[in-house]
Amino acid sequence: MSLTLRAFRLALRVLPADLRAAHGAEMEALLVDELARARRPIERVSVRLGAFADLARRVPYEHWRRRGRPTLQPRVNRMPSVFADLRFALRASTRQPAATALVIATLALAVAANTAVFALVDAVFFRSLPYPHASRLVDLNEQAPKWNLEFVGITYYDFDQWQKNSRVFEGMAVWDGSAVNISDGTTATRVDGQMVSYDMARVLGITPVLGRTFTKDEHALHGARVVMLGYGMWQSRFAGAHDVIGKTLRIDSRPFTIVGVLPANVTLTEPTGFWLPLQLDAANERGNYSYEGIARLKPGVTIAQARNDLLRVQAPIWRQFDSTHTVSPRIMPLRDRFVADYRTVGAALGAGVVLVLIIACADIAGAMLARSIFRRREMGIRVALGASGWRVTRQLLTEALVLAAAAGVIGTVVGRLGIGLLTSGISDIPPWLHLGIDARAIAFSVLIVAATALVFGLAPALQFRRQDLTGSLVGGTRTSGSLPERRMLNALVVLEIALAAVLLASGGLLVRAYANLRDVDPGFRPDGVASFRLSVPDAKYKDGRDKRRFYETLIARIGRIPGVAHAGAVTCAPFSCHWGSFYQAEGTAPASTNAEDPVVLTRIASSDYFAAMGIKLLHGRFFGPNEGTPDGPRPAVINDLLAKRLWPTVDDPVGRRFTFRGDTSARDWMTVVGVVKDARHYGLTQPMRPGMYMSLTSIDSAHTFDRFAVVAQTTGDAASLFPALRAAVHELDPELPLFGVTTMQAALAQSMASRRAIALWLASFAAIALTLAVGGIYAVLSYVVGRRRHEIGIRMALGAQRGQVLGLVVRQGLRLVAIGLLLGVPAAFLASRALASLLVGVSGSDPLTYVGVIVVLTATGVAAALIPARRAAGVEPKIALGEGS
Amino acid sequence: MPRPGQRVPPVRRHWFYILLSLAERDRHGSAIMRDVLELTDGALRLWPVTLYGTLDELHEQRLIRALDRAPAEAGDDSARKRWFHITAAGRRALAAEVARLEGTLQVATRRLARGSAS
Repeated sequence: MSLTLRAFRLALRVLPADLRAAHGAEMEALLVDELARARRPIERVSVRLGAFADLARRVPYEHWRRRGRPTLQPRVNRMPSVFADLRFALRASTRQPAATALVIATLALAVAANTAVFALVDAVFFRSLPYPHASRLVDLNEQAPKWNLEFVGITYYDFDQWQKNSRVFEGMAVWDGSAVNISDGTTATRVDGQMVSYDMARVLGITPVLGRTFTKDEHALHGARVVMLGYGMWQSRFAGAHDVIGKTLRIDSRPFTIVGVLPANVTLTEPTGFWLPLQLDAANERGNYSYEGIARLKPGVTIAQARNDLLRVQAPIWRQFDSTHTVSPRIMPLRDRFVADYRTVGAALGAGVVLVLIIACADIAGAMLARSIFRRREMGIRVALGASGWRVTRQLLTEALVLAAAAGVIGTVVGRLGIGLLTSGISDIPPWLHLGIDARAIAFSVLIVAATALVFGLAPALQFRRQDLTGSLVGGTRTSGSLPERRMLNALVVLEIALAAVLLASGGLLVRAYANLRDVDPGFRPDGVASFRLSVPDAKYKDGRDKRRFYETLIARIGRIPGVAHAGAVTCAPFSCHWGSFYQAEGTAPASTNAEDPVVLTRIASSDYFAAMGIKLLHGRFFGPNEGTPDGPRPAVINDLLAKRLWPTVDDPVGRRFTFRGDTSARDWMTVVGVVKDARHYGLTQPMRPGMYMSLTSIDSAHTFDRFAVVAQTTGDAASLFPALRAAVHELDPELPLFGVTTMQAALAQSMASRRAIALWLASFAAIALTLAVGGIYAVLSYVVGRRRHEIGIRMALGAQRGQVLGLVVRQGLRLVAIGLLLGVPAAFLASRALASLLVGVSGSDPLTYVGVIVVLTATGVAAALIPARRAAGVEPKIALGEGS
Repeated sequence: MPRPGQRVPPVRRHWFYILLSLAERDRHGSAIMRDVLELTDGALRLWPVTLYGTLDELHEQRLIRALDRAPAEAGDDSARKRWFHITAAGRRALAAEVARLEGTLQVATRRLARGSAS
C-alpha cells in the first residue's frame, strides 16, 4: 500500500463513522483509480492535494449534517449574518429607547462600581511592588507579645547581627521615617523622607537616576553629611537640573552634600523626599527599637526558611541579653506588611460590587425574559421563516452584547471617576499603590461585560429554545408565559432579594459601626482646638534645656493670642505618634522578664495642655504652672489603665511613686499627681494602652525630645487661629516650618475617614441593590398581572372585590420577598463574620440591623407590588374578557 | 413538472450533476465522477469525500438508491463496485430544478436582450 493511501485512510478517520463504514473503501478505491489515471508526476501531486483538501473541506459539514439539522448550505457565510444580527440588535434597542436606556444605565452603574473597586482590589491583592523581583522582598521586624506589641521595631544591634550572620538573604537594610526642615536661609519647609542603611538601594534593586548611593563609610557614625534627593524633590526644588550633584542643601540648619537622585517610583510607606544615611554604632543601639527592616531573599528561599535562619541568628542574642525570648524576629512578605490594613476593605468592597453586578444581571435578565415573552410571536415568525434555533439564540445574545458593550464603555469611564471618589475617602493609601484604569482594568471591564451579556442574553434565549416557537403563531396575541418561564422569573427575583438582603445587612452593620464610632469618647474635647507640629533642630537648640525654653516661650506667646483660652504642648498628640517605655511602682520588684509587661505610652506635656484638650480628670489634679524641675520633684499624670496596672488594688493612686523599670536611683522617682481618662490615642477603633505624662518643666539637658505638637483652644473657630499661630512661630524662629497644621475636629474625622468611606460605599451598594430589587419585583409582577388580566377579569365578573384582587397580587410579591429573605438573611449573617474586623462596637448578629433589613425589604416589596396590583384591580371585567377571547 | 403541492427538495450544484448523470443510466461512483467532469467541461471535479458524501446525502433524501448488484453489462472491473440508481423522487427533483433553471434562463435571456436594446 502506497504512503499516500495509508495517509488517506488515516485521514478518513475524521469522517463520521457511518459514512466511513458505508463509503470509506470506495473513497480509497477512487483515489487509487485517479492516481493510476494520472500520468505525469505533477498530475499525481494535484490529485493527492485535491483529495486531501476535499476531505478537509467536507469533514465539518458531514459532522454538522449528522446533528439532525440537514441543510441545503454546507458552508454558512457567517460574517454577513453577524452584521445582520448587529443591525437587528441596534434596531431592536432603539425601538424601546426608555427600556434600553434603563438597562444600559443599570449595567453601566454596576460596571462603574466594579471597575473602580477592581483598581483597589487589584492594587491591594495582585499588583506587585514597583521593584524588580519584588516577590523576594520581605519585611523584617521584631515582635514582643509580652509587651503587647505586634511590631516593636528592630534594634540596630539586632539588625547588625542578622546582617553579619544570616545566610538566606541577598541583602538586608533598615530604615526609619524622618522629617527634616530644609531651609534656603529665609523660609523653611518640612520634608518627609527616610534615614536608611547604606545597602537600601541594592536591596530594593534600584539605581539612582543621577549620582550614586551611599558608601559604607558614609554609613558609619560621624560619617560625611550626604543626602540623596527623592525624585519629586529634585523636580520641585531643583527643576530636575543635572548639576545638583555636589551642591549643598541646608537640612535642620546643617549643610549636606547631594550625592544622588532616587528614581521616581521609590517609596517606602511614607513619601520619599530624601534619603539620609543612618549613622549608628551597633554596639550602642541595643535598646532602641526604632527601625523597620527590608531584606531581599536569595532566589528559591521561602519565608519559612528565612524565619528559621533568623531564629538561628537570634539565638546568641537571646543567650546573651534576653533569656526569656521577650523580643523575637518576625518576617513577612513586604507587600503583606504594607497592604494588610486594606485587605478587609478591599475584600468587602470587592464582594459588595460583585453582588451589585449579580443583582444587576438578574434584574436585566428578568426584564429581558419578560420582554422576550412578548416577543415570542416575532421569534416564532423568524423561526417559521427558516431561522434556526441557534440563529435566534445568536440574535438574542447579540442584542444583549450590544447593550452590555454600551454599558461597558459608559461604566468604565464613570468607574475612572469613581476611583477618585473611592480613594478620597480612604486615607493614607500608600503612594506606590497605583490606582488607575490601565490595560488590566479595561480587560476586567470587557470580561464583566461579556459575562453579563452571556448571563442576561442566554436566559431568554434558553427559554426560546426550550419551547415550540411555531406554537406561538397559533396562539395569536396571547402571551402567556409557560411554567418554566415563570419559575425562572421568580427565581431571578428571589435571587435579587436574597443578595439585596446580604448587601443591606452588611451596609447596615457598617453604618451602625460607624455611627457607634462617632459616639466613642475620644478622651478629649475636639471643639475649637487647633494644633500643629514643630521640630526644633539640634544644630540650633543644643540640648533639652534649650528646646524646653523655646517651647515654653512659644506656648506663652500663643496663650496671649486674642481668643486663645488655653495653649499647651505634648510630644504625641492623639492619633499621631507613639513612644513607649516600661515602669515599676514603688515597693514592687521590677516585672520579671517572664511576666506580661505591656508597653506604656509615654508623653511629655506642658501644664495647660490638659485644659486646652479638655482631657477628663478622674483623680487629683493636672500639673501646676512650673511644677516639677529636672532635679525633682517630678510630677506625673497617668491614665486609668496605668493606674490599674501599677496599683491594681488602689482606687486613688494620687501621691504614689513609680519609676522607670529597673531604675530605682532616687533621682528618677515620679509622683502621681493626677489620673486621667485619655480614652483613645491610636484611633477610635484601636484599644488604648497604659499611658503617662511627664511635665515639660522637668525635661533636663539629657532629654532628646525635639518634636512637639502644640495645641491652642479657642471659643471660636479653631481654623481661624492658623495665621496667628504661624506668626507666633515665625517671630521666634523664621527657619522653623509648621507642619501637621489641623484642627482636632479634622484630625478626629480623618481618623474615621476610612471607616466612613467603607460604610458609605457599602451603604450605597445596598441602596443600589435595593433599587434594583424593587425594579425586579415591579417588572415581574407587572408581567404577571398583564398575563393574568383575563383571569382577574373573570374573578371580578364573578364578584371579587377590588381589595381581594389587590391582596392577590401583593401576596404574590410578598411570597417572593419572603423566600428571598429566608435565603438572604442567613447568607447576610455569614457575610457579617467576614466583616468582623470592621464591625467595631456592633455585633455581626445585631438584631436591630436584621429586623431593619426585613422591614425595609418587605415594605419596598409591597410598594413595588402595589402599582401592578392597582392596575389589576382597575381591570374592567368586560374588556379583559373581551381581550382573552 | 412537479404537481402543485408536492414537496420537492431544492437541488444544489453537486446534487444536480449527480442526478443528471444518473438520469442517463445507472453508474458507479468513479463513473459518476468522470461523467460530471465531462458534463461540466472539467469545471466540477467531485473528489472522493465530496462524491461519496453527496451520494450518501442523496441516498438519505431518497433521491437515489444503491443497486444490490452491478448490471449485467458491467465489465469485470466495474462489477465489483457499488452502482447507483436515480429514484422517481430524484427525477422529480431534477425536473423541478431544470424547470427553475429554465425559468431563470428565460428571464435572463429577456433581460439581456432588453439590456442590449437600450
